[in-house]
Amino acid sequence: MRGKDVRLDQVSIRFGDSTAVQPTDLSIQAGEFFSILGPSGCGKTTLLRTISGFIEPTAGRVLIGGEDMAGKGPNERPTALIFQNLALFPLMSVAENVAFGLEARGMRKVERLKRAQELLELVALSGYGDKKPADLSGGQRQRVAIARALAVEPAVLLLDEPLSALDLKLRQHMRSELRAIQKRVGITFIYITHDQGEALAMSDRVAVMSRGKLEQVADADTLYAEPATPFVATFVGEQNVLRGTVSSLADTVATVDTPIGRIEGRVKGPIRLGEEALLMVRPERIVLGPGGANTVAARLAARNLEGPSVHLHCAAAGQTLTVTVPNGPSVRELPEELTLSFGIDDALVYPLGALAHG
Amino acid sequence: MGSLARAYGRPLASVIAGIAVAWVLVLILVPLGAMVEQSLWWRDSKGDASLSIDRLYNDISLIELDLETETDPAKQAAFDQSLVEKRAEIATLEAQETNPPKTYGLANFTRMSGLHFYIFVRTIFYALLVTALALVVCYPVAYVVALASGPRKAIILMVALIVPYAINELLRVYAWLMILDYRGVINGVLQWMGFIDLDAREWIPFLENPSAVFLAMIYTYVLFMVFPMVNTLETLDRNQIEAARDLGASTFRIHRRVIIPHAKPGIAVGCIMTFMLSAGSYSVPAIMTRGQGGDWFSQLVYRQFYESNNWNMGSAYAVSLLVVCTAFILLMMRLFGVGLRDIAK
Repeated sequence: MRGKDVRLDQVSIRFGDSTAVQPTDLSIQAGEFFSILGPSGCGKTTLLRTISGFIEPTAGRVLIGGEDMAGKGPNERPTALIFQNLALFPLMSVAENVAFGLEARGMRKVERLKRAQELLELVALSGYGDKKPADLSGGQRQRVAIARALAVEPAVLLLDEPLSALDLKLRQHMRSELRAIQKRVGITFIYITHDQGEALAMSDRVAVMSRGKLEQVADADTLYAEPATPFVATFVGEQNVLRGTVSSLADTVATVDTPIGRIEGRVKGPIRLGEEALLMVRPERIVLGPGGANTVAARLAARNLEGPSVHLHCAAAGQTLTVTVPNGPSVRELPEELTLSFGIDDALVYPLGALAHG
Repeated sequence: MGSLARAYGRPLASVIAGIAVAWVLVLILVPLGAMVEQSLWWRDSKGDASLSIDRLYNDISLIELDLETETDPAKQAAFDQSLVEKRAEIATLEAQETNPPKTYGLANFTRMSGLHFYIFVRTIFYALLVTALALVVCYPVAYVVALASGPRKAIILMVALIVPYAINELLRVYAWLMILDYRGVINGVLQWMGFIDLDAREWIPFLENPSAVFLAMIYTYVLFMVFPMVNTLETLDRNQIEAARDLGASTFRIHRRVIIPHAKPGIAVGCIMTFMLSAGSYSVPAIMTRGQGGDWFSQLVYRQFYESNNWNMGSAYAVSLLVVCTAFILLMMRLFGVGLRDIAK
């Protein structure tokens, strides 16, 4: 099996009056594990269905392996889709399910069942061929769906939140399993999810999508450390968000007057002197005690034990700042009055824009 | 019963059980029992009884005539004696005729004539044909209705299915009669287009063909085929259709491998209902053929009851039809691998 690259060229999708996907350019490399991350209703499933051929784009082109897919149905594209509810055929045995795509291609029964057997081995389900999907556990059904999709030797595998029905432990296990399968077969995976943990853990690159628009396309580290927009900053990971007025503006550093005082931070995006801006600091970038360029006096309001780390909810000038510190003996006897500090690099200054939560 | 009493309390449980028993009695045991009982006996009325009675009365008149002219007392006594004997004989014969003795047995079932048996077999065959045709007609309709959504679905259902069925069955059959008649709508249109001349009796005799009955019957029973199918098709996860298409299956294969297997219980229910209804339909063949086409078996049953006035034979015919149809349905369910449990779903 060989992966193919997928390119979206000014693809936009409208349903009647409403725009599901705004004009989008996207280039996914062959053999890449690519995730599209976004809240429900952001258009990510629509985008996936466009790539798979169930939806024709209103404008723009979808190219797979350099070939224009216009007018080609889902059965004519080198893609296979794994549905959110898996959509296994309940009345067929597991082996028949896996062999269905080969049956549709007219392969002889003996051959296609042999091939199904090989694929079931690939997903560690040999010996389950005669069972019905209903007799399998959630994780096993998941793997049957993967084997069924791989049977038609697609160049691009499209996955529509296939792990969302599983419980937490199994979901985490399946993440590494999916990644391993992708490495083994070497084809392009396009993975849709609203779960940032899944996207960050598995993907080579992640696209964050909001309201039909791609906010940022980057690898997981960049996405977390250098979010391009306020939406990405707040959707991926936790943030302390403060609103303030830009009081001085240098090349890459801006000073913002916030309720908790003057804070210096790095400029992300077009901001202007005297205008309002958003200032964001990750909870784990704030340290207890002085040291950073920005210092804030705060009062400890609550402690949330998370196991290896502790969330401290601190009140400062009517704002709540969350600070995440590693768990240890010292955090058990903290004074009520705290000094918090963080560096200029830890604070990011964005122009006003949509946030992920509220 | 024990669990019922625990769940609902004793009084309510006995009410529920009572209703269940009444249901079984009123809907199944009593009507079926009456019919079976009726079919299992007959009265041995000797065909020549009335003739013998007439002959005896003649004899009596003659003897009485002889008696008036006879003067020999010995002979008179002999005549009187013979009169008493003949009158007694008449009395027993008349008693037999007005209230012949009941005989129980299976003779009603074995007495069917060859012609009637032929009609019986043909009716089953025709009913099967109607069922098959109705299935072919209804499957696409059911598919479209089941997969349509929102207001479109309501409109299709209303216009295509509910509105025709708001009209009485007799009216619907008569409407088809008017359409297919010698001087009906179709022949009228053909004349208007200049193909035929009705005054020269050049009409196409649709009604003399069994297919006219098929047509009216399919029209009459379409709903019973469509609704069970729509019900099961609606429960089909549409993702399965898309998944099959995505895996490269043709439309035909998607239907054959994914949709029809899923809809099988609904198809079975629809076929059973259509088959039973058409095998037992009286009004449609009676009206559509007007005695010109071949009879259906239901018409024979009707005749046994109301023309031959032989209720026992009529009951036997009706029971035979029921038994054969039921056996046939069980056979079909077995062949298609549909269990009662699937149908109940």
